[in-house]
Amino acid sequence: MAASLLSRRTARVFGISSINSLLPSLSQCVILQQVAGYNPKPLRLNLKTPYIPDKNSEKTPEWQKTVKYDRTLYGKYGAASGVDPVKLWPTHEQLDEMIAEEKEWHPPLEKMLENIAVKEKERAEKRLAREKLIAANMAKMPKMVADWKREKHEAKKKQKEDKARRDRLLAEARERFGYALDPRSPKFLEMVSEIEKEEKKKRKLLKRRQKEQQQGLAGGAPPPPAATS
Amino acid sequence: MSVSKTTGGKTLDIVKSLPRITLANLRPNPGAKKDDKRRGRGMHGGSKSGRGHKGERQRGNRPRLGFEGGQTPFYLIIPKYGYNEGHSRRPQYPPLSLRRLQHLIDLGRLDPSQPIDLTQLVNCRGVTIQPLKRDFGVQLVEEGADLFCARVNLEVQIASEAAIAAVERNGGVITTSYYDPRSLAVLIKPVPFFMSGQPIPKRMLPSEDLVPYYTDPNNRGYLCDQEKVKAARLALAQKYGYTLPDVSTETACELLAQRKDPRQIFFGLSPGWVVNLVDKKILKPTDQKVLQYYNS
Repeated sequence: MAASLLSRRTARVFGISSINSLLPSLSQCVILQQVAGYNPKPLRLNLKTPYIPDKNSEKTPEWQKTVKYDRTLYGKYGAASGVDPVKLWPTHEQLDEMIAEEKEWHPPLEKMLENIAVKEKERAEKRLAREKLIAANMAKMPKMVADWKREKHEAKKKQKEDKARRDRLLAEARERFGYALDPRSPKFLEMVSEIEKEEKKKRKLLKRRQKEQQQGLAGGAPPPPAATS
Repeated sequence: MSVSKTTGGKTLDIVKSLPRITLANLRPNPGAKKDDKRRGRGMHGGSKSGRGHKGERQRGNRPRLGFEGGQTPFYLIIPKYGYNEGHSRRPQYPPLSLRRLQHLIDLGRLDPSQPIDLTQLVNCRGVTIQPLKRDFGVQLVEEGADLFCARVNLEVQIASEAAIAAVERNGGVITTSYYDPRSLAVLIKPVPFFMSGQPIPKRMLPSEDLVPYYTDPNNRGYLCDQEKVKAARLALAQKYGYTLPDVSTETACELLAQRKDPRQIFFGLSPGWVVNLVDKKILKPTDQKVLQYYNS
């Protein structure tokens, strides 16, 4: 897209409006470039009778005796101001100050590049550590999702079973007593515990029988002990 | 009064004879006090004195600005958030579009046969830079990239990629360079600076957060290696699908090769030199320490 955008104009490079732009290559031609140039403001300086304050006079204000003012005078009137050009540059003490300031506030380019590299490295390390952590956690993710699904499925199943058992118990109670029973009533609870006890007994019996059967299978079919008891 | 004998003159005599200054004999200077305007007197007297009928308006006890009669005012409903954090200290770069640049060149206000830097742009009234308003220079934006057809040696402070491509497609050269506020003030108004008679200051390096921008060859930064810039020019030409015009054989080569030193503010003038406009002279320091400071 950018290419088409840029090359749209190339076909009419030699339009009238582009004469100025192509001047360097057309310099031999007759066409002269019209350059308005910079029209500076007049300096408006009184060069004929310049005001040079007398340093020794008491009437001269203090600010006209400063080095800064001398520099301005030199800038305005040049050599006619009578200012020694040496004053235009800072003295050695001032230079020392300037150098000290520069040392404190303007570190060299190499130092800055070093600092930038260190910071960049730190940032990259931080980012890498974070990416590593995220990758490790993401690797754990499928297992965690499977676990969560299984748990949820089991909880649902258990809930269903509980409900079925309760319904069955309630139905049994109604059969036994002839009317619908409140599941919180002591009568119902008693019945439930009774049933549970029976079931327990049955289960025990079943277990024992299974054990005996296994023993019988292992020991070459001895006489069934259930017949003796 | 007779002529005083004391050294202080008449004034001291008068002060001595006057009573001590106390609160009782102080009074405002004549004309320092003005009588309050008395409403409801004279010809315009009457019931309302021009203040309308009843209420806060008439009694002049209006609530503060933004108060909405007790409900939470708008200016407190909107939560604060740091979008504008430090906005008064952020550097500003006024935009300069390629369309505007082309316009200036076509009108003859800018001379493309000279390297164009901020001085040229300001002198032709192309941009307005206010260093005191935290302006740090201009940014070249790509508006008008398709109609730009000048071959220039341009120096700006920030340039977008498409703008760089548009300049280089025409065989021009572009550099992004940093000027600290002091150098910027010197650069945009050279004449008042030369009139102050000071030596041209040394251009400072950019702060640490700006160094990556100006050392990146993709931005044509002034601190990066020229070889890298060459490679970046070729890469950009490939990306935008143009061929770089070969300028090495032309007369324009000299113009396009002109570049400033990272410490230099004006073309052809070194830091530490003094320019005198009246004598039309350039003064160069000879003191070793001065030279060492300005050349470092």
